[in-house]
Amino acid sequence: MSLLRYTVYRLLQAIPVMFGIAVVTFLMVNLAPGDPVDYMISEELASEELIASIEARYGLDEPLWRQFLNYLGFSWFLGLLGVPGFADAPPGLLQGDLGLSMYYDRPVSELMLTRIPPTLMLVLSAYAFALTLAIPLGVVAANRRNKPTDHISRIIALFGVSTPSFWIGIMLIVIFGVWLGILPTGRMVYPWRDPAFYGYGNHLELWYQTLRHLFLPVVALGTLQMAVIMRVERSSMIESLQSEYVQLARAYGVSERTILRKHAFRPSQLPVITLIGLNLTTSLGGAVLIETVFAINGMGRLIVQSIQTLDYQLILGTTIVLGFVFVIGVIITDLAYAYIDPRVTYGEEA
Amino acid sequence: MSEPLLTVRDLKTQFYTDRGAVRAVDGVSFDVEQGEIVGLVGESGAGKSVTTSSILRLVEEPGEVVGGKVRYGDRTLVGFDEAAVADEDGRPKLVHSEEMLSNREMREEVRGNEIAIIFQDPMESLNPVYTVGGQVREFIQINRDMSKEEAREEAIEMLRRVGIPEAEDRYSDYPHEFSGGMRQRVLIAMALGCRPNLIIADEPTTALDVTVEGQILELVDDLVDEFDTSFIWVTHDMGVVAEICDRVNVMYLGRIVEQGPVDEIFHDTKHPYTEALLNSIPRPDRTVSDLSPIKGTMPGAMNPPAGCRFHPRCPDARRACREVEPDLLEVGLDHRSACIKHGEVGYWESEPLEHTEAQPETVEGPR
Repeated sequence: MSLLRYTVYRLLQAIPVMFGIAVVTFLMVNLAPGDPVDYMISEELASEELIASIEARYGLDEPLWRQFLNYLGFSWFLGLLGVPGFADAPPGLLQGDLGLSMYYDRPVSELMLTRIPPTLMLVLSAYAFALTLAIPLGVVAANRRNKPTDHISRIIALFGVSTPSFWIGIMLIVIFGVWLGILPTGRMVYPWRDPAFYGYGNHLELWYQTLRHLFLPVVALGTLQMAVIMRVERSSMIESLQSEYVQLARAYGVSERTILRKHAFRPSQLPVITLIGLNLTTSLGGAVLIETVFAINGMGRLIVQSIQTLDYQLILGTTIVLGFVFVIGVIITDLAYAYIDPRVTYGEEA
Repeated sequence: MSEPLLTVRDLKTQFYTDRGAVRAVDGVSFDVEQGEIVGLVGESGAGKSVTTSSILRLVEEPGEVVGGKVRYGDRTLVGFDEAAVADEDGRPKLVHSEEMLSNREMREEVRGNEIAIIFQDPMESLNPVYTVGGQVREFIQINRDMSKEEAREEAIEMLRRVGIPEAEDRYSDYPHEFSGGMRQRVLIAMALGCRPNLIIADEPTTALDVTVEGQILELVDDLVDEFDTSFIWVTHDMGVVAEICDRVNVMYLGRIVEQGPVDEIFHDTKHPYTEALLNSIPRPDRTVSDLSPIKGTMPGAMNPPAGCRFHPRCPDARRACREVEPDLLEVGLDHRSACIKHGEVGYWESEPLEHTEAQPETVEGPR
C-alpha cells in the first residue's frame, strides 16, 4: 500500500474515533452540575417564561437524545430527507456549525476561528524553538557522552523538565520586561493583521514586532519540550551509536561525521517523533497557562473562560475540536513514522 | 614462503573497569598468509572478538590496545616504542610508534578496502532504516572510489554473486524484508564488494541454522577460490573449523594455547584444551554419555589463574602447572602448543592435581 493510500486509510479510521469523542464530550458536559441558564440571568429577573424562551433559543428544551442529534447535525440531514418532526432542524457539527456561545452571543465556530491562530502560532513557534535547540544538543551530548558538554546539556535538560512553564514565564517577564525592559510581555501582535492596526509602517516591521512579542512566551512554553526532546534524542542516539550497524560502518571506514549525521541519526529519530507527536497536542494544555501569563487571546484562554461562565456550547465546541486536533496529531505522527521507518507496514493486511 | 599478509605479534588489549584492568587479549601472535583461511577458536570470552577488533583498532572505550605489533603488508596497524621517559613505577612507558598509521589512514586506507569485517549477528548488523542495496553501495563507493552509479552496479553484481535471487529488485528492499541467511549473504556481499585482501568473519554463521550455515560455508569456499581473499574465521565451532580452515589458532583466556595446520590440530592434538574442545563436540558415532564436556567455566580475565591458565579445568593438570607459565613451543612443523608437557620444566615428575575445587586442601597436599 502506498503512503497516500495509507494516509486516506488512517483518516477514515479516525472518523469513528472522532464520533466517539463527540459522544463522550456531549454526555460529560450534560452530566456536569450547574445550569447554564442560571448564569445568564439574575435571580430576580428569572421568570418561567424568560427561562423557557432562553432554553428554546439554545435548543435546551428538547429531550437529550434530540439535542444530541441536533448538535451533531444528524437532525439537519433527517430534515433534508423529509423525516417528520425534523423539518426545520438546525445545522450541527457535521455542517460545521458548533452552535451559539451563550456568553459571547456569537457562533462558537467564529469565536474559535479567531482564537485558534494565536494558539497555533504560539505552540508551533515553541516547537520550532524546542527542536532547533534539542536535536543538535541531544546529538552533541550523545557524541560527547560523559564529557563536560554532555553534563552541561543534561543540567539544562534537568532544569527544563523540572521547572513549571508559568514560573519560567513569570521569571522571564520580571527579567526581560521589568528589569531590563527590552522585550514586550503582553499585547501580542499578529502578523496576519493590517500593520496600520498597530501603527506599524509595513509588514516587515510587523513581523519583527511579532517575533519580539513571541520570544518570551515561546521560551516559557518551549523549555519543557526542549528538555524532554533533548533527553530522548540523547539516549536514542547513544543507543544507535552503540549498535552493530554503526560498528559495521566504522569497520568499513565511514567517517565519524557521516556516522553521526546519517547512520546513527536517522534510526534515532523514531522515539523522538513519537514524543513530538504526542506532546504537540498535550502542550496545548501548557498553552492555556502561558496564554494567561502573557495575556494572549488564544484557545487556552477561551477554554478557561468557557468553563468559568459555564458556556455550554462553547465548552462542547472547544473540547471536541481539541479532541480532533489530538487525533489528527496522532495520525501525523503515524505518517511520519511510516515515512521514516520502513518496518512500519501500512495497515490493513495485518 | 613470502612475507605473510598479516602478522600479529604479542598483541595485548586491556579493558579498564572499576575493579581493575581486564587483560582480554594477553600476548597473542599469529600470521595470515595470502589466500588462506585462518581459524580463531575458543569459548565465549576467550578474547577472539577483541583480538579482531584490536587488529582493526576498533576497540571501544574503556578498552585499549596496550602492546604488541600488528603489521599488514608493509603497513603498521599497531606498533609501540619505548618512550624515553619511564612511568612512576620505573618501567619503560610504551608510546605509539611513528610508523603506526594515523586514525585517518586507518579509516581511509585500511578499513573496508584492505580489511573488511563480517559481524556475528546479521539481524543487528544492517541499518534498519536504509535499503539493503544502498548500504552495500555506500561501502563499495567509499572503499573503491567509485561513482554512485558504478557502485550501484557493483553492489547489484555482488548481491547476485552471493546468491540473492532477483538482486536487482531486492536492492531497494529493507533489511527486515530479508531472512537471517539472506542478510548474512548481504554482509558477505558488502565485504567482498570492497575487494579487501583480508576478511575478518566474526562468528558469521553462529546465528544461522545448519542448512543455511552449510550454504554460506560453501559460498565462502567458492569465493576464496575466485578472489584469493584471506580470511580470519572466528568461531567456537570446531566443526566449522574442520570444514573451511587451513590453519587454526585455539584461544583460551586471552592467549593462544595451540596453533597449527588444521589436520595437525585435529589428528595430532597437543594441547589438553584443544583435546577437550574436540571431545565436547557431539558426534553421530557417540552417545551423550560419551561426550566429555570441559568442566567448569572459563575464569574471568581479571585474575587469571597462576601458572597455566587452563590448569583448574585441565584433566592432565599437575602441580607444576600451577607454578610455570607455559610458552608456545614448536611441537611439529608449523605447529605450536603452550603446555608444559612439551617443555623441560618437570611436568612429568610433578604430582597430578586432584580436581576437587570445593576442597582446595587436598590440592595443597597433607599438612
